[in-house]
This record gives sequence, C-alpha cells and structure tokens, in this order.
Amino acid sequence: MVTAAFIIFGLAAIVSAIMVISFRNPMASAIALIVTLCSIAGLFAIMGATFVAALQVIVYAGAIMVLFLFVIMLLNLKRDEFGPEKRKIQRTLGIILGLLLVLEVGIFIQAGLGDFGPSPAGDKGSFTSITELSSLLFTKYLFAFEVTSLLLLVAIVGAVILAKKKL
Amino acid sequence: MPVPLGYYLGLAAIIFTVGVIGVLVRRNAIIILMSIELMLNGANLTLVAFSVHLQELSGQVFVFLVMTVAAAEAAVGLAIIVMIFRNRESVNVDNLNIMKW
Amino acid sequence: MNLTLIIPEIFLFLWALLILFVDFFTAEEKKHRLGPLSLVGIVITVVLVVFSGQGQAFGEMFSADYYSLSFAIIFLGSAFLAICTSIDFARERIKHQGEYYALILLSTVGMMFLAASRELLSMYVSLELTTISLFVLSAYLKTDLKSSEAGLKYMILGAASSAILLYGISLLYGITGTTVLKGIQAELVGSAFPGPLLVISLVFIIAGFSFKLAAVPFHMWAPDVYEGAPTPITAYLSVASKGAGLAAMVRVFFGSLLPVTSEWIPLFMALATMTMVLGNIVAIRQSNIKRMLAYSSIAQVGYILVALSAASELATTSMILYLLVYMFANIGAFAVVIAFYNHSGTDEICEYAGLSRRSPFLAISLVIFFLSLVGIPPLAGFVGKYLLFLAAIQKGYYWLVGVAVLTSVISLFYYMNVVRQMYFRKPTKNDPVKVSWSLRLALVLSLIGVIAVGVYPDPFVSLISKAASVFVY
Repeated sequence: MVTAAFIIFGLAAIVSAIMVISFRNPMASAIALIVTLCSIAGLFAIMGATFVAALQVIVYAGAIMVLFLFVIMLLNLKRDEFGPEKRKIQRTLGIILGLLLVLEVGIFIQAGLGDFGPSPAGDKGSFTSITELSSLLFTKYLFAFEVTSLLLLVAIVGAVILAKKKL
Repeated sequence: MPVPLGYYLGLAAIIFTVGVIGVLVRRNAIIILMSIELMLNGANLTLVAFSVHLQELSGQVFVFLVMTVAAAEAAVGLAIIVMIFRNRESVNVDNLNIMKW
Repeated sequence: MNLTLIIPEIFLFLWALLILFVDFFTAEEKKHRLGPLSLVGIVITVVLVVFSGQGQAFGEMFSADYYSLSFAIIFLGSAFLAICTSIDFARERIKHQGEYYALILLSTVGMMFLAASRELLSMYVSLELTTISLFVLSAYLKTDLKSSEAGLKYMILGAASSAILLYGISLLYGITGTTVLKGIQAELVGSAFPGPLLVISLVFIIAGFSFKLAAVPFHMWAPDVYEGAPTPITAYLSVASKGAGLAAMVRVFFGSLLPVTSEWIPLFMALATMTMVLGNIVAIRQSNIKRMLAYSSIAQVGYILVALSAASELATTSMILYLLVYMFANIGAFAVVIAFYNHSGTDEICEYAGLSRRSPFLAISLVIFFLSLVGIPPLAGFVGKYLLFLAAIQKGYYWLVGVAVLTSVISLFYYMNVVRQMYFRKPTKNDPVKVSWSLRLALVLSLIGVIAVGVYPDPFVSLISKAASVFVY
C-alpha cells in the first residue's frame, strides 16, 4: 500500500518537475509546480511527517504558488520563445549534471539498501506530533526562529520598495 | 519506513537536479525562480526522509524554516522581476544583455 | 539563557527600525541626514560588541566568542565605511534613502548572527537574512537598467547557491543526525564515515559557499553584479558578503569537519588555484574600474583560500587579519571610485587620466590602497599576505604559495595601469574633483587602517589569534 503510494507520488513528482522546466508557458509551469509540491506533500505524509505535509500544501502549494501565479498574471507574460539557442555551455553543463545525477541516485539507492541499516523503531503516528515539533522550534531552535522574523521584515521592506510603481 | 530510505533520497536527488538543470537552461526568470523552488524541495525531501529515518525531529524543523525562507526569497525575487519587467517589458535573462551573462 | 550576549545585534536591529521610523517623518530634502544617524548606530553597536561579554545563548546555537567578535568588528567596520561612501551617492541618486540605510544595517545584523551561530539551521537562516537584504540593495537603482539586471542576476544565483548549500547541509544532517556543529564533529570523529555520501555533501556545501565567496568556477555573477549595483553597495558586497561567507564556511569546516580534512583540502586547493589565476588574468583586460576591482576581489579570495587549505590556527588568524586589511584597502579603493563617479559620472579607467593633477589626494590614496592589495611591504596587505602564505608553507604547500606569489606579481599590471593613467597621462578635463566630508572620512579611516596594520601589526595579530583559538585543530 505504502509502496504503491510512493510509486504514484514519486512518479508524479518527477514527471511534473520535468514539466515545470520544459513548458514554454510560465502559467503551465506554475500549475505543474503545484502538482510537484502536492506530490511531495504526499510523500511527506506517507513517511509519517504529517505536519510538514500539511504545511507543504498550505504554505508552499498555497501561499507561495499563489504569489507566482499572481505575478505571472500581473505581467501578462507571453509564451517564452526558445529561439536560437545562445546558451550552449549551459546545455552541456546540464547534460553533465544529468550524468552525475545518475551516479548519485545509484549511490543513494545502494546506500539505502545497505549502509543505513534499519531505521530505529518507533511509532510514526506519535513521532511527528505537532507538540514535539513546536516544542523543539521554541526551545532548541528558538534562535533560528527569531532570525526568521527579521528575514520576513527584510522581505517585506524589500518587496515593497522594489515593486512599488510610484518612485 | 517500508520504502527504503535510499529511494526517497534518490527521488530527492532527481528533483533537485531537475531544478538545477532548469536554472541552467531556461531563460525566463520566473521559470528559473520556480526551478529554484524545485531545488529547495529536493533538499526538503532529503531532510524529511533523514529525519524520519533517524527518528530525530530537527530535520523537520529545518523544513519548516526553509519554507519561510523560500517564501521570503520568492517575494523579493518576484518583486525584482516585476521591476525589471516595468523597465524593459521582458523577463528573459538573455534579453538582459547590457552586461555579459 | 544569557540574553545580554545578543544585545549588540538587537540594538542594531532596533536602530534599523528607528531609521525606518524617522524616515517616515523626514522631509525628502533632509533624508540624507539618515546616513549620519545610521553611522551613530554602528558606532554604538561597536562599543556594545566590545563590552558585551563572552559566552553562549540559546543553548548551543549562539556563541559570542572572540571569533564572532572579530568578525562583528569587520562587518560593522565595512558597514560604517560603506555608509560613509553612500551619503552623497544616496542623496543624488537614490530614492527611499531610509530603507536603504535600514537594509544595510539589517544585513549587517544577519552577518553578525551568522558569525556567532554554531548550528547549521541558524547559519542558513542568518545567511539568507544577509543575502536577501543584499539582493534588494543591489537592485536599488530601480530605473537604472544595469542595477536592476545586477539585482536579478544576484538574486537568481544567490538563491540557487543557497539551495545548493541547503542540499549539502541536508545530506550532512542525514549522515550525522544532528545540525549542531559540535555534534557533527563528534559523530565524524568516531566513525569510518568518509563514504561517497559525505563526499557528495561536502562538494555541495563547498559549491554553495564558493558562490557566496565568488571563488572560481562559481564567480560568474560577481563582475556583473559588482558593475551594476550602486557603487557603495558594491564596496559593501565585496567585503562584507565575502566576509560573511568566509565566517560561516570557516565555522563549518574548522568547527565540525576537521576530522575529515583529507576529503575537502584538495578541493580548497583546486579552488584557490583557479581563483587566483583566473581572477588576476581576467582583471588585466577590464576597462571599467568596477569590473576590474570585481576581478581583483575574486583574486583576493583565492589568496585566503590558500591559507584555508592549511587548516591550522595560523590559517584562521591570517584569514581574519587579511579580511580586516582587505576591508580597508578595498572599500578605500571603492571610495575613490565613488568620489570620482559622483563628480564625473563614469567608471571607465581611461577617464582617470591625469587624476593626480585634478585631485592629488584621491590619486595618492588610490595608489596606497592598490599597493596594499598587491602586498607591498610597509602596508597592511603585506602583513596579511605574509601570514596567509606562511600558514600554507607550514604545511608544505610550496607550489600553492608559488602560484599565489606569481599571480600577485601579475596583479601589479592592472593596478599599475590605473596608476599610469592617473600620473602619466594628460587630463582631458581640468576641473578639480571635490571630495565631500563623508567620503573624506571613509578615505582617511581606510588610509589609517592600511598604514597602522602594516606598520604595527602585533596588537591586531595577538587579538585575532584569540579568535582563531576557538577551534581545536
């Protein structure tokens, strides 16, 4: 059952990720990206990380992607023409990266089968309870959490300054 | 986990690399930003997979904050794109060739 | 929890908010006074940094030690100098001055957090705080095509490099099961980990940091961004953002990855060699002084990487000292460029012809800064480079030091080309170049720094070596 879910979500994630980078129309890419994000949320859920899965759908697929869609519609972008290819070097780089990826995935799968050994046993339902996660967030990782608030302030100020039309 | 950890990591690596390739080959700045989101998601998937495997929650806290950072980055990035579009009616990075890319 | 330790950062953050607040009630023609106001904030923060104690806060996450202290001084110093050079520039060319100064202060807060955090998650978030403010600042001249393009490039490559870094971090977390640097070190000591997974993770982490440092082959964004960004921001970027990258990188590598040095030292060496060679050679061809300084600052990172390949206490000492020296010389050089740009509106090297007659002070300052960047003896750059190379020689990396010395000689060409223009060419115009009080302050402070550290380096070295001793080598 879980294996089947993994295969479905995994394939959906890969296929839609490839669609994100291959569509010409940014709107279509954005929709494909939403599919990727939701499949990844599904993967989080089958791993037992339910809280993160919920966040992934609400924050990522919800809020962030709405921002993207909003900007795409605001700018009313036309199709991105491929035209004559000027970035040959990048293409080659991309191919090299793809080959490296095959190697990397090989290593991971081998490692997954062997080196990591069995996971420490535990009941997954209680493992990712929101209580534990948030207590960690507000004790051990409080510092990082507070710094994030500054980060959001900077993002607000920056985005307003840059996107404001009247100078 | 009934599915071995390595498969999750492999999947994350694939998504990450698709993102990297997108950043390298695409010229539309918005799609490049989306590819960066793919890269972040690859990293997030790795973090959660390890976190569940190790039964150690800090990986998930990490993902939580990465989402916040991604939102901030997307906001500023899109603001820059809007600004550029106002200046020159295009979001293609190859059209931005006052300076060499 | 000892919250008094982060008082300097909190103060600087509140000061940034104060600037935003005051900006709201200030008439447009008086807004240039926000610059001096932010300078006051920085000076007070420096005092607070020096007198706030040492120790740890937030558990293991945040540690105020000599290492974070010396980096905090460098970051605050470069913010101070950058704001000094900004005041006239901002009055003439920048809208929204309040937010401009506030963002500089906020990115400095991020850098100070970065230097003090001892855990990967806080580091990542602080690094993002720094870089996101810098994205905005480099795109700040909204109607200027070059600046907005610089902002876009910096944003794309900065965000992509953060993602690469994050991926490396996620693998490292998986291998060791913790994000605390000390815990990572403890995990790595006992086990026979150096497997392919660790190597992959190190490669990603090094690549991510190399983007931040603009080390070759991850440097391609730097010249464009440096050329396009507002020049005071370029000055700030070239010192502070590199410093931030180095602070985090050294904290990660010397603070947690020393048990596996054999995995990453060869990578550092390769980066150092490529960076020095390419940075110096490409700099020769540049006709725009900002681009030339961009390549020169790429090359300077190469020298620092030479020392870091040694992974010793001397390496850390020399790295921090060199960063201090480089801050004075590089921001000083940019201050001259800004003064000239404010007057003439151009950055082309050929326009510098005859500057010695139009403004002897600017010309001689630029010569001194360049000589310090090359590393000519009585100046600070010599002390810095000497220590950097000494660290590498102690480990027997003679060929690396050979390359470094050779490329330093090459660097003389392009620096001296500017000097030749200033002293041996006839000026095309004859009007003297005026220098305002704030730029004069930045120039004089940088000159004092370059000469003082060069003539009398002992107190600086002994202070900084305390910072280097926070790591166990």
